Amino acid sequence: MQQDKIFADHVSVAYEKDGESFLAVDDVTLSIQEGEFVVIVGPSGCGKTTFMNTLAGLVKPIKGKVFMDGNKITGPSAERGVVFQQFALFPWKTVFENVEFGLKYRGIPKDERREIVRKYIRMVKLEGFENSFPHELSGGMKQRVAIARVYANMPQVLLMDEPFGALDAQTRTIMQEDLSEMFMMEKRTVVFITHSVDEAIYLGDRVIIMTARPGKFKKIINVTADCLIPNRRNLGYDDVVNLKAFRDLKGELWGLIKAEIMEKRIL
Amino acid sequence: MSMKAFGPQFLERIYREKVVLSLSSVLGFIFCWYLITDVLGLIPALFLPSPEKVFFTIYEKIFIPVGQSTLFGHVGVSLLRILVGTTIALCLAIPLGILMGWYEDLDSVMTPIIEVLRPIPPIAWIPLAILWFGIGLGSKVFIIGIGVFFPTLINTYMGVKFVDPIMIKAAQTLGAKDKDVLREVILPASVPLIVAGIRIGVGLGMMCLVAAELVAASSGLGFLIMLGGDDLKPELSITGMILIGIMGLLADTLILAVEKKVVYWKTES
Repeated sequence: MQQDKIFADHVSVAYEKDGESFLAVDDVTLSIQEGEFVVIVGPSGCGKTTFMNTLAGLVKPIKGKVFMDGNKITGPSAERGVVFQQFALFPWKTVFENVEFGLKYRGIPKDERREIVRKYIRMVKLEGFENSFPHELSGGMKQRVAIARVYANMPQVLLMDEPFGALDAQTRTIMQEDLSEMFMMEKRTVVFITHSVDEAIYLGDRVIIMTARPGKFKKIINVTADCLIPNRRNLGYDDVVNLKAFRDLKGELWGLIKAEIMEKRIL
Repeated sequence: MSMKAFGPQFLERIYREKVVLSLSSVLGFIFCWYLITDVLGLIPALFLPSPEKVFFTIYEKIFIPVGQSTLFGHVGVSLLRILVGTTIALCLAIPLGILMGWYEDLDSVMTPIIEVLRPIPPIAWIPLAILWFGIGLGSKVFIIGIGVFFPTLINTYMGVKFVDPIMIKAAQTLGAKDKDVLREVILPASVPLIVAGIRIGVGLGMMCLVAAELVAASSGLGFLIMLGGDDLKPELSITGMILIGIMGLLADTLILAVEKKVVYWKTES
């Protein structure tokens, strides 16, 4: 049997706010295979980010364990790269230096680092901006830098926490297409958090619907395995969202999420 | 310099930068001073000497010594005290602030002591300073150092403490260990607050300088100010005050220029 890339075993996570403890994630079990693109979608405040931080090793669960390749995750590691919604670039470093950041700690020699950094800056289509500082870039470009920074660091798993959440709709669509392309070019295991149903179905091999807090998994849909929308990684965003299969699936998912929002009154 | 620099664009730029406006306010101030002393004679010269008398005093004391040295000598002595005091204070405050912000245990140990010492006005240390370090350079340096130390320490501490946690998480998930995070993230991220702290500290240090020189000194600008009072020569006091003001302005300008250089990456907002 193939070993899970990531395995979350009955994980519960709490967080503290104003001295009170809230249960953010409630007894969640999930296994993710190598090379899979898993999207977790749910209403805001449902604990998706907390769950992802647990996978990253930035937050410790109060119950259950998380494993990567069968080894228990105890803290953050370069093997699980994170793309944050707020970009989290180092403002005093240039685009080049930002992308290079992790490579220094991998002991890669300078010449080789330069090659790798150039490659990934090219991949995110930011050639010519190597010497720019983050404050000189637009939001979409900043997130491209952050994506290049994580890709260049060769993590086995990419964790993306609403990476396009802070971008305008047009930029977002283009970023989604480019990410889908990158995923085909360089197969990595991806866990992607979003509250956009469209984004979830467009990108995810598997889409997981989370309930409102405390977050549990409400439903898991195998978009790729069940051939719900075949061949979509070769299609543009507009072509995919106009497919009947896409609209049907979107209707179903949105129904589930809406029910969650209405039921728990988290408007 | 090219001819173009003196063209209408140059004048326009000066006007835009409000240099003209600022300059006229200074000249206007001096003119009003001139008006109420010399022209209208509203205030006797014993209370407020006229501007030309003050300017003449400044000019005269460049050549004729007051006490042990000429005006430049007094400025030099004050400058030396400020520089030594500030340097020592920064060398202690910045590393301590970084360590306190980084190691929570050290924070818990040091904070109560600092919170008690910090509200004590630096000039309250003058008697002890003289007792410990005599009336020479040592006591002045100590007083100035106290003035510079606390604002710099507090700002450095805050700068380290309030680095955006997302930046630290980003570094950690890219493989940075604690020492890398400190060097590559915490330090650069806290520079803006550290520089702001130095700016406040040096301002306070200037005040401490004068206070220290008023009490026990036979040289320096504070001494001039005091001597002017003792000898009923207000123009001498005003000379000292003007020079202190200019020194403070220059120090502030210098720090701002350094800030612009080291915080090149900060967004305008």
